[in-house]
Amino acid sequence: MSALLRKTVRDQQRGVLAWAIGFAGVAAMYSAFYPSVLRSAGALQRYLANLPEAFRNLIGTDFTTPAGYLRTETFSILGPVLFLVFAIGAGSRAIAGEEETRTLDLLLSTPVRRRDVLFDKWVAMAAAAMCLTAVLGLTIVVVGPVFKLRIAIADVASACLMLYLLGMAFGTVALALGCFTGRRGLANGVTGAAATITYVVNALAPSVKVLSHLRPLSPFRWYLEPDPLVVGITAANVAVLTGITIVAYVAAWVSFGRRDLRA
Amino acid sequence: MSEREAIIRVQHLTKRYGGSRGVEDLTFDVGPGEAFGFLGPNGAGKTTTIRLLLDFIRPTSGTARLFGMDPRREGVQVHRRVGYLPGELALYERMTGEAYLRAFADLRGGVGVARINELAERLDLDPSRKIHDLSHGNKQKIGLVQAFMHEPELLILDEPTQGLDPLVQQTFYGMVQDEQRERGAAIFLSSHVMPEVERVCDRVAIIREGRLATVADIGELKAKVLRRIEFHFSEPVLGSSFEHLPGVKDVSVHGDTVLLSVEGTVDGVIKEAARHQVVSLETREPSLEEAFLAFYRTGADR
Repeated sequence: MSALLRKTVRDQQRGVLAWAIGFAGVAAMYSAFYPSVLRSAGALQRYLANLPEAFRNLIGTDFTTPAGYLRTETFSILGPVLFLVFAIGAGSRAIAGEEETRTLDLLLSTPVRRRDVLFDKWVAMAAAAMCLTAVLGLTIVVVGPVFKLRIAIADVASACLMLYLLGMAFGTVALALGCFTGRRGLANGVTGAAATITYVVNALAPSVKVLSHLRPLSPFRWYLEPDPLVVGITAANVAVLTGITIVAYVAAWVSFGRRDLRA
Repeated sequence: MSEREAIIRVQHLTKRYGGSRGVEDLTFDVGPGEAFGFLGPNGAGKTTTIRLLLDFIRPTSGTARLFGMDPRREGVQVHRRVGYLPGELALYERMTGEAYLRAFADLRGGVGVARINELAERLDLDPSRKIHDLSHGNKQKIGLVQAFMHEPELLILDEPTQGLDPLVQQTFYGMVQDEQRERGAAIFLSSHVMPEVERVCDRVAIIREGRLATVADIGELKAKVLRRIEFHFSEPVLGSSFEHLPGVKDVSVHGDTVLLSVEGTVDGVIKEAARHQVVSLETREPSLEEAFLAFYRTGADR
C-alpha cells in the first residue's frame, strides 16, 4: 500500500464509519418494518392499485415477498439515494476538493505522480464504497431473519453488488468532472443532477412513451432490471455499469495528467 | 554555468493566460549552493514561475529544468530533491501537526523523527495541536518543517516569512543560511520585500509585470540603492558640508534639519553628521520600487 493510499484511507476513516452506521441503521429499520408491512399487505396492495402506473413502476408493487419488499424499500429509493450521495460526494472531493482547498499543491510537491494520486484516491473511494455496501448487505442478512425477512445471501449479495457498481459509476463520473474542471461544487452538482434525471427517466420510461427509447441511456436501467434479488447477476448489466466507470476513469486520467492546476 | 551544473535553468519561459497576466520570456540560472532571490511586487508573476518549476502548470513556451531534468516527465525524481513552501499555505486542518508531518515524511519515503523534532524545536512549534486551532504563524511553521525535513538539495520558498513574527523570522533566516552553508542546498526565495532578500540571498532577479527586469548580485544592487536620511541637529548646520560627500544627492536644509539621499554606503554621511550634535535621525529601508528605479537610473547613466 502506498504512503498516499494509507494517508487517504486514514483521512476518510471517520466519515466512512459514520456512513456505515447510517447504512446499518437503514437496513435494520427496514427489516424491523417488514412484519407490519406483511400484516397490512392486502390494504397496501389495494392502495397501490389506485396509484398512477408511473408511481407503481417507480417503487414496485410487490411487498409480500422478502425480495419484493427489499427491492421496493431498500434498493429502489433510499439505498441508491444515500449511496449516490456518498459516492458522488467522495468522487468530487477526491481531486477537485483538494484542489479547491489548495492542499493538492503540497501533496503534488512530494514525489508522487499526478496519475498515482488519482489512482490511489479512486482505490480509496472504491474501498469505502465496498465497505458501505457490505455493511448494508450484512445487516439485511443478519437482522432480517429476526423479523421474518428471510432471503438467500447470494441474492442480497447480487443486489448489493449492483448497487456498488451503480455508485462507482456515478462516483467516478464525479471524480472525472472534478479532474476536468478542478471545481468540487460543479462536479458534485452536475453529477447529482445527472443521477436525478436518469433516475426519473428510468422510472417513468415504462409509462411515458417519449422516454422509453431514452431508457437505455439511464444507468438505473442497468441496475435493477432484471431484478438481481430474483435472478442474480446479469452480465450485460455488470458490463454497462463497469463500462461507465472505466470510461469516466480514463477521462479523469487523461484530463488530470494534462491540465494546469487552478491557482 | 553548464546545463549539468545548474540547479534551476529557466530559458525563455512563458506562460500566458487568457486575460490575466502570466510570465513572459524568463531566462535565468540558479547554481548549486546559491541563494537566489526572486523579488517583485504582488501579482508580478512570482508564484506563476514557481508553479511552472513544480509542474503544477505547464509553460506556453520555453523550458524549465531542475537538476537538468524536465519537471513534467521526471517530476518524481525532481520533487524528491525539492522542498517547497507555497505562498498560500493550505494544510489538512483536521490533522495534528504531528500527524501531518508524519504523513508527509511517509510520502517522501521516510524522514527521521530526529530531524523533524529538531526543526520543530528550533521554530518553537508545538506539533501536538490540531492544525485547525493554530495561528497563521504556527501553520507557517509546519509548512517550513515540511519543506526542510527531507534535507532537500533545493528549497523553493514562496513568500516564506509572511505571518511569522519578527523573532521567528530571524530563526528562519538562520535556518536557511544553515541549509545553504552546511548542507550546500540551493535556495529559491520569492519575496516582495527587499530587506529579506538582502538578508538571505546572494543574487536576485527582479520581476515586474511578468518580465525579468534584472538579475544582479545583491551587493551590486545594494550599492545603487538610494536611502533617504533626515537629521535633526541641535543647531542649524550648513548643507554644503554634506553635498560633496560621495554618493550624496538632493540635499535640502530647513533650519536645524537636513534631508538627503545617499547611494550605497552611509558611512561618509554619518561621520560628517557626527561632527555636529545630532538630536535624532530618521531613515527607512528603501522600497523595492526605489531599489528598482535606482538600479535603472544608474544603469542608464552608464
